[in-house]
Amino acid sequence: MQGSLSWLLRFVEGQQLSSLPRQSHRITMLAGLSVLNLFPLAALEVGQQWYWEIGNLKLHGQTFATSWFVILLLVIASLAATRNVQRVPSGIQNLMEYVLEFLRDLARNQLGEKEYRPWLPFIGTLFLFIFVSNWSGALLPWKLIHIPDGAELAAPTNDINTTVALALLTSLAYFYAGLRKKGLGYFANYVQPIPVLLPIKILEDFTKPLSLSFRLFGNILADELVVAVLVLLVPLLVPLPLMALGLFTSAIQALVFATLAGAYIHEAIESEGEEH
Amino acid sequence: MFDFDATLPLMALQFVVLAFLLNAIFYKPMNKVLDERADYIRTNEEDARERLAKAKAITQEYEQQITDARRQSQAVIADAQAEARRLAAEKIAEAQRESQRQKETAAQEIEAQRQSALSSLEQEVAALSNQILHKLLGPELIK
Repeated sequence: MQGSLSWLLRFVEGQQLSSLPRQSHRITMLAGLSVLNLFPLAALEVGQQWYWEIGNLKLHGQTFATSWFVILLLVIASLAATRNVQRVPSGIQNLMEYVLEFLRDLARNQLGEKEYRPWLPFIGTLFLFIFVSNWSGALLPWKLIHIPDGAELAAPTNDINTTVALALLTSLAYFYAGLRKKGLGYFANYVQPIPVLLPIKILEDFTKPLSLSFRLFGNILADELVVAVLVLLVPLLVPLPLMALGLFTSAIQALVFATLAGAYIHEAIESEGEEH
Repeated sequence: MFDFDATLPLMALQFVVLAFLLNAIFYKPMNKVLDERADYIRTNEEDARERLAKAKAITQEYEQQITDARRQSQAVIADAQAEARRLAAEKIAEAQRESQRQKETAAQEIEAQRQSALSSLEQEVAALSNQILHKLLGPELIK
C-alpha cells in the first residue's frame, strides 16, 4: 500500500526519485486512509524487484519465476496434447489443435500461404507466451506467494525487460527473414520506391521494437495498476468489470504483438510487385 | 520501473529456446497430425465422390435396363395381342367360310332334292293323268 503511493509520487515528481534506493521512499499513508491498513486486502508495489545475482549479473527473479511457470504450462500442455495423437481428437488434443489452427490462421493471414510455415513457431510462440503470461498475471493469485525484497510475482510481460526482449527478437526475426530471402538486396528496400524515405525507413527499424515493447508493457502494467488501485480503494465487486476488461486487453495485446510481428516479417520478405 | 539488466538477454534466450522446444514438441507433431487429417479427409472425400459417381452410373444403367425390359415386355405383349387378334380373325374368317360353304352345299342339296322331287312329281303327274285318262275313256279309246 505504501509502495503504491510512493510509485504515484514518483510519477508526479519525475524521475529523480527513482534514482534513489527503492526501499527508502516509502511514505506514510494519509491519516484518513490509514484505517484501511488494518485490513490487508490489497497493496500496490511497482518497481520492487526480487534480484537474483549470478556472478555480477542482476536478474529479476519474479519475472523469471513466473516465466518458467508459463513455459512449464505450455510444455506440459504440448506434451499432453501430442502424447497420444488420435485421428479423431478429444480432450487436450482437441484444445491444442484448436490453438494451433488459430495460430496457423494468424500466421497465414500475415505471411501468406507460401511463407508462413517456417515462421509459425516464432509467431505462434510469441502469441502463446504473451497470452499465457498475461492471463496468468490476470487470473492467478500470485500475490499469495510471498517472495523477498518486497517484490511480488506478476505476469512476465509486466517487466519491460521481457517485452523489450520479445520486441528485439522480432526485429532480429524480420531482418533475418529479409536477408535470407533477398540477401543484401534487402537493404534496397530502404531506398525504394524513393530514396527520400530513407531516414524514415531507418527510423522505423527503431520505432517498431519500441512501439511493440511499450505497447505490451504499458497495457499489461496499466491494467494491473488500475485493478490494484481500484482494489485498494474499493476492495469488493467494483474492480471486477475492470478485471474482465483486463482479460480482454491481455488477449488483444498478445494478438496484436503476434500479428505485428507477422506483418513486419511479411514486409521484409515481400518482393516488389508481387501481391500475396 | 525501467531498469534494464541481464534479464533482457536471458529472457530473449529463454524465449528462443522455448520457440525451438515448442517447435519440436508442439508445432511439428501437431502440424503433422492436422496435415495428415486433411489428407485423410481429402482422399476419403475423393473416394466417396468416386463411389457416389459409380453408384450413380450403376443406377442409371439399371434404370436403362429396366426401361429396356419394360419396352421389351410391352413389345412382347403387343406382339402377342396382335398374334391373338390375327389368329382370332383367321379363325372367324375360316368359320365364316366353312359356314358359307355348308350353307351353299345345303342349298345345292335342297335344290337337287327339289329338282328330283319336281321330276318325280312330273312323272307321277304323267302316270296319274294317264290313269285318269284310262278310267275316263276306257282302254279302247286310248289306242
